[in-house]
Amino acid sequence: MSRFDAIVIGGGINGLVAAAVLGRRGRSVCLLERSDRLGGMAGAEGAYPRMAHLLYNLGPLVRKDIGLGARDWPFRTVALPTVALNPGGAHVRIDGTEARFVDGRPHPDAAAYRALVTRLGGYGALLRRLAEAPPPGGDAAWTDPAALKQMLRLGGFGRALRQMGKAEMRGFLKVLLSNAYDLILDELPDGPLAGALAADAVRGLAMGPRSPGTVFSLVYRHGHGGTVSLPVGGMAAVVAALAEAARAAGATIRTGTAAARLLCEGDRVIGVETGAGEVLMASRVLSSAAPLATARMAGLDRFDIEASRRMRLIRARGTVAKINLRLSALPRIDGLPDDLLGARLLLAPSAEAVETAFNPAKYRQMSDEPILEALLPGVTDPAQDAGGAVALSIIAQYAPSDLAGGWTDAARDRLLAAVVGRLAAVAPDLPGLVAGAEVLCPDRIEAETGAPGGHWHHAELGLDQLLTIRPANGLGHYAMGLAGLYLCGAATHPGGDVMGLSGRNAALAALGDGP
Amino acid sequence: MALKSSYDVIVAGAGHNGLTAAAYLARAGLSVLVLERNDWIGGAAVSRSLHEGWTYSNCSYVCSLLRREIARDLDLPKYGLQVIPYEGGASFTRDGDYFAYYSDHDALRREMARHSPRDADAYPCYAQAIMRQCRFIRPFLLRDAPDPASMAPRDLGEMGYLVKKAWGLGKRELGETLRFWTMSIGDFLDEHFENDLIKAHLAGSGIIGTGLGVYSPGTAYVLLHHYMGDIDGGIGAWGFARGGMGAISKALGAALEDHGGTIHRGAGVAEILVRDGRVTGVALEDGREFAAPIVASNMDVKRTFLRHVDRAALPGEFVRQVERFKIRGSSAKLNIALDAMPAFPAAPPHASFLRGDMHCSESLWALERAYDDWKSGRWSAEPYVDMLIPSQIDPTMAPPGSHMMTVFVQYAPYDLAVNGTRSGENWDATQRAALAETVLNQMSIACPDIRERILHMEVRSPLDLEREVGLTEGNIFQGELTFDQLFFNRPVPGFSQYESPVKGLYLCGSSAHPGGGVMGAPGANAARAILRRAGKGATMKGYAA
Repeated sequence: MSRFDAIVIGGGINGLVAAAVLGRRGRSVCLLERSDRLGGMAGAEGAYPRMAHLLYNLGPLVRKDIGLGARDWPFRTVALPTVALNPGGAHVRIDGTEARFVDGRPHPDAAAYRALVTRLGGYGALLRRLAEAPPPGGDAAWTDPAALKQMLRLGGFGRALRQMGKAEMRGFLKVLLSNAYDLILDELPDGPLAGALAADAVRGLAMGPRSPGTVFSLVYRHGHGGTVSLPVGGMAAVVAALAEAARAAGATIRTGTAAARLLCEGDRVIGVETGAGEVLMASRVLSSAAPLATARMAGLDRFDIEASRRMRLIRARGTVAKINLRLSALPRIDGLPDDLLGARLLLAPSAEAVETAFNPAKYRQMSDEPILEALLPGVTDPAQDAGGAVALSIIAQYAPSDLAGGWTDAARDRLLAAVVGRLAAVAPDLPGLVAGAEVLCPDRIEAETGAPGGHWHHAELGLDQLLTIRPANGLGHYAMGLAGLYLCGAATHPGGDVMGLSGRNAALAALGDGP
Repeated sequence: MALKSSYDVIVAGAGHNGLTAAAYLARAGLSVLVLERNDWIGGAAVSRSLHEGWTYSNCSYVCSLLRREIARDLDLPKYGLQVIPYEGGASFTRDGDYFAYYSDHDALRREMARHSPRDADAYPCYAQAIMRQCRFIRPFLLRDAPDPASMAPRDLGEMGYLVKKAWGLGKRELGETLRFWTMSIGDFLDEHFENDLIKAHLAGSGIIGTGLGVYSPGTAYVLLHHYMGDIDGGIGAWGFARGGMGAISKALGAALEDHGGTIHRGAGVAEILVRDGRVTGVALEDGREFAAPIVASNMDVKRTFLRHVDRAALPGEFVRQVERFKIRGSSAKLNIALDAMPAFPAAPPHASFLRGDMHCSESLWALERAYDDWKSGRWSAEPYVDMLIPSQIDPTMAPPGSHMMTVFVQYAPYDLAVNGTRSGENWDATQRAALAETVLNQMSIACPDIRERILHMEVRSPLDLEREVGLTEGNIFQGELTFDQLFFNRPVPGFSQYESPVKGLYLCGSSAHPGGGVMGAPGANAARAILRRAGKGATMKGYAA
């Protein structure tokens, strides 16, 4: 029987960050990962991307807290432009706030786009203040140092809000809970540029751009920097860096070791029993598994009926499929200069098209014309091409986890055909180049990573599952009802993406000293 | 009464909110002139005789939200207002069954258990959750929405009130409230119930009048908006105004005139006159002018500022925001004169629920699909219908033995898509007839002989509502009830307290907080704002806040 200060369940991004943060604060930590590979949804065999393929939000705060210093990550990243593909028209190149046609001509809506994205960035900077700390509220008495700290932080948020100026503050409060579709189309005519924003607003979510709340997710994406970057060496390099940080902080990492049961004594968690029956003792357990799965490990009878009902009701319908194609050669995309082949390629012809793609997902059907984010990582980082073949990594939406009839082989083939068919509209030679395909539907993503519904954020990023009520009312502060048990996965505030803030915030909460 | 050339206040538009505001102002001793374009008053709260012997409540059709404080302050029962509650309702299915809603608790429980014993058990929990939210929100209806960007004592005070009320909920309930307000009615119902038909029946109120689907976040609030009324203290109860919805306007008009106010019918406002940033009066379509230092517009925010105020008198940013105000029409209406009571084969004879609101939607998915049609510019192939036959309870609506039926239809777009173009102008007689066909088909699920019973039928598209009542795009709430257009965001952030960039020009219609429905709250609140700022020291005694 081994004894640790803390055990972290799950070796995804958030689990690794949590372990590193705890280790850095002098705690002995053991991280248990069920599979043989670390990284969860970011994990990959070699440099070739598997699920996650780009970085948006991995911030310096996490880097600092896991002991990698303030300067830079140990892996190199390359900022990528985004290309909004326009079947039958001119593609649009987007670099941060700048939009122009790929042939260099100015885009008529460039000024409106710049103004909108700049505005979103400002809102995002504000929301980041909330993301980098536990959500407001909590159990502590107001005289408690943690509560006082939180008051100060909220005061700081209020001050920052006021510093925006009256007009901006009112604008922020107006659009925050609104829908992305109206926000975007109030400023831009519908087309690829609007479509790109709409697609970014809903990526990974079970919502269409017309759903209220999608402005929040759009701001969320643009707020944590908004820049898209490709890690050289692939996601594997990112995971390796995080794992190395955890190990350097003294954490023990055990892959191939599933946590089967949480050991409790009264209302306290005292350790973990592994799948192999080994007992590891610890006074704190942080789980990056889903809330309900975590509760089940402890035994649902240890939670009151309201808590277990709330956990059951957490909405987590995955809507994203990941498709990894191996191509015999680089495809040619009509109207796209070769130097932009390595860009993040978005196929979302209009905001309307994104909403239309969402419609069938509501009724448990896949989109006829899915919205795609495609990436040829090997163009930028040749190591990411697998064994002589060109890797084409595609995020396809919407492919609902609860597809009517289930994700059978036939359904997977249908999705693949729809995706390849969509791409053929801009790259006619692509279908002939496909040498191999891996279709990861939400069911596979769930089976491999444990994320409920294969959902990217483990729990829908809807307004009713954010901040203090993320993932559910009463579960908003990482603690889970049993003393010593914490949630540290993407289901908690502030949510998923390769960001690590959930793990970091949870570790600090578990340390009891607040961030 | 002879018209004067100048008044203390001119109210543009004699909708129920305009009349409410005017009545309060007249009661406080101001001289008030109400100008109405139509030859009748009431806006969308009217009773019209469009077929000999029948009275149609041809726009709004049921009553619940009218704030009782207003009815009491203005003594509306004295002026003939009588609201008769109706009990229950039903949703009919294609296979000949129905789910009936009863206000009697035991009857409702038995009926629910017939469809799902689990849902019967779950209902009290659901009803309590809704009731708690109603209780939380009701005090805010007759208060100003504070401007969070303002440091003025009133705003801070109102903000303090909000924080105090929220704090008073306790931590657990505050979390539940935040959730409820941001949820979709579909998700909320899915959490409580398992039976599709029960869910569909309860979901209707979450979408009536909105451009949202049952699974759009925010629709749980819309449901609340329809539940927060009451009749004689019965929270959430609905009823008919005896004599049709026009009876409400009639009573308000009578109260106004009794307090010395003047209503001038057939007098459409062409322009609200502004000089040096101050309102000076109004000019009518026929060229006459009336002077007043205060004008309250009952028209929606778009119509008021984009059509009736000189653009040069308004700040550009304000105009930009008004232009972006969302006011998409989403509903249509059939008003039908029936030669006899239609047969409802599924229902037992003389079932009480036939006197309530009846529907033909069987699942949340069917409702969501109806919304998808609207998004793409078509009316729903299988619309949500809210059918009532008030003449069963109120015999003044139709000749003996005959009946009047009102059918609210959700969804029908204002900008109908025809041959690839989307425009309100596409609503011609052919399209209206085709819409009526679709609706009658849907209604046939409940009453298959409906077509044989029809003596006369009025089909109202969103365009008709815009043209006749003046509601831009035919939106029944004078602006969508979404987060970005509620409370301090309604209609435009920074102008949520009924005033506008033009000094002396106020909004008193549903475009202002707390929004649409025959509620009277925007009118009463606007009157309070006017009296506070310009009322010669007059106040609204005995009135909330």
